[in-house]
Amino acid sequence: MPSPNPRSKMSIAGHPLHVMLVPIPIVCFVAALITDIAYSQTAKMLWTDMSAWLLMAGVVVSLLAGLAGLTDFVSDRRIRDLRAARIHALGNIAVIILSIFNALIHTRDAYTSVVPTGLTLSAIVVLILLVTGWNGWSMVYRHRVGVMHSETDVP
Amino acid sequence: MMSVRLATCAVVLMLLTSCGPNPIDPRRQIGPEPYLPPIHEYLLPPMHTAKIVNWNGATPTVAPGLKVQAFATGLASPRSLYVLPNGDVLVVETGGPPPPPPSRPKDLVMNWVEKTTHSPTKPGQRILLFRDTNGDGLPDEKTVFLDHLNSPFGVVLVGSDLYVANTDAVIHYPYTTGQTRITAAGAKLCDLPGGPIDHHWTKSLTASPDGTKLYAGVGSNSNITENGLQAEVGRASVWEIDRASGSHREYATGLRNPNGLQFEPQTQRLWVVVNERDELGPDLVPDYLTSVKDGGFYGWPYSYYGQHPDPRVKPERPDLVRQAIVPDYALSSHVAPLGMVFYTGTNLPAHYRGGAFVGEHGSWDRTILNGYKVVYVPFQNGHPAGAAEDVVTGFVIDGDKARGRPVGLAMDTQGGLLIADDTGNSVWRVSASSP
Repeated sequence: MPSPNPRSKMSIAGHPLHVMLVPIPIVCFVAALITDIAYSQTAKMLWTDMSAWLLMAGVVVSLLAGLAGLTDFVSDRRIRDLRAARIHALGNIAVIILSIFNALIHTRDAYTSVVPTGLTLSAIVVLILLVTGWNGWSMVYRHRVGVMHSETDVP
Repeated sequence: MMSVRLATCAVVLMLLTSCGPNPIDPRRQIGPEPYLPPIHEYLLPPMHTAKIVNWNGATPTVAPGLKVQAFATGLASPRSLYVLPNGDVLVVETGGPPPPPPSRPKDLVMNWVEKTTHSPTKPGQRILLFRDTNGDGLPDEKTVFLDHLNSPFGVVLVGSDLYVANTDAVIHYPYTTGQTRITAAGAKLCDLPGGPIDHHWTKSLTASPDGTKLYAGVGSNSNITENGLQAEVGRASVWEIDRASGSHREYATGLRNPNGLQFEPQTQRLWVVVNERDELGPDLVPDYLTSVKDGGFYGWPYSYYGQHPDPRVKPERPDLVRQAIVPDYALSSHVAPLGMVFYTGTNLPAHYRGGAFVGEHGSWDRTILNGYKVVYVPFQNGHPAGAAEDVVTGFVIDGDKARGRPVGLAMDTQGGLLIADDTGNSVWRVSASSP
């Protein structure tokens, strides 16, 4: 019988791809804020170089995660109708766009690769991630998006 | 709704990344008081490199009263030249050391840019000797003078002592007049800052008029300290090396990438051409030609063109910025001067006597290419007097294809001007069109 829960189209054996990928960009973007703060305090190039790698990895994987998430979003009306899902989607699109900008800012040489624009963007991205993360958890733990109802569920 | 939003964002992104000031007329930045526009830091620097194409039998274009001939072709990245007293011409075939492992994603892109702007021919690591036996100014004999060098660039002869500046050391060789090949093992006179990071690797070399000192140009190890200040020890400076002991001191500092070291013949003062910093806009910072004062500080990295601070450098050094010397003569931005020679010969028209020819390798980060030519800066009483004039052009065709890029210059014993062309793999000789 069809699941009563909103279904994730992009999933492997009932495991939604989106939630498997998102930890990578989340960790990368949070870590980039930390390394940006470290650079702004020390002016040691090690930290902004690290931020640049983190932003690049974060952007690449967030595009894949976003693609999986967006596919789930458009494939099931029950997901589209959730306020939490819409906030989550819009917020994370903003995260990706700002992080692409941020990666470009970090290609500058030395201090202005971070201060002030890079550091500001990194902080804004983490603040948005707090909101979109909260809403993402609401989608799963309150609205059971992608959760299997029983072992006999059609995935 | 979503796709409209996405499209809007994409358009905004494109607009923001493509905007940047339009390049100004480079003539506003030639001379002692260049116009300096406000700083523009990019999201994406405009990487506009000329595509490398072949000369296919064509030659550069020269100013009226001059002619140009191919002195040598089919070389492997000839970058600098030196004329021995007997008229033999040394041509240094050379290339930079391999880049260090990338320290950030941008390095991957920059290494690729570097590849596309240089000749696909693998550079030599040697010096060739060319000899003209019939007096027509063009060589009839060619030998390998010195082989298995390490990114050599500068060469200077003092008496019977020949010095070659590899990227990591000045090496001394005994030389006797007429020798076509050096077989003696070299002896190190002095270490120079080399790898593992060796960003500006060309070490120009000249000797003081009395022959007791050598002067070596040591370029910075980054655009603007992005490899860390610890990588800049001893760099962005002109070294004075004692020929007897091999000890050295920094004669002048703050010169980002000094090349073409030459003593001005009338005043016997040291002059250099300097490659200034990138990524502050298409018209910052002008490259320049300057006399070098003993103990002088010329700004890099803390400031440019005198006291204009560079916001990218931390910690700041206002004490040094206050001392920064304004260079003598701007050549306009990103022209990449790498060679210079004061013309003391009599072959070229009288117009060209006493001033300096400058070889401009050409820009990579400016939407309208700048440089890619040899210019003449007139001098009077040992100082630049008047606007730089284009003397040898035609290196770029169709606005964005480079048949060649000028690097080192030299004057041969008959008064011809020699130009090393590293991507054209040629040496050109310019002389008076009518005898």
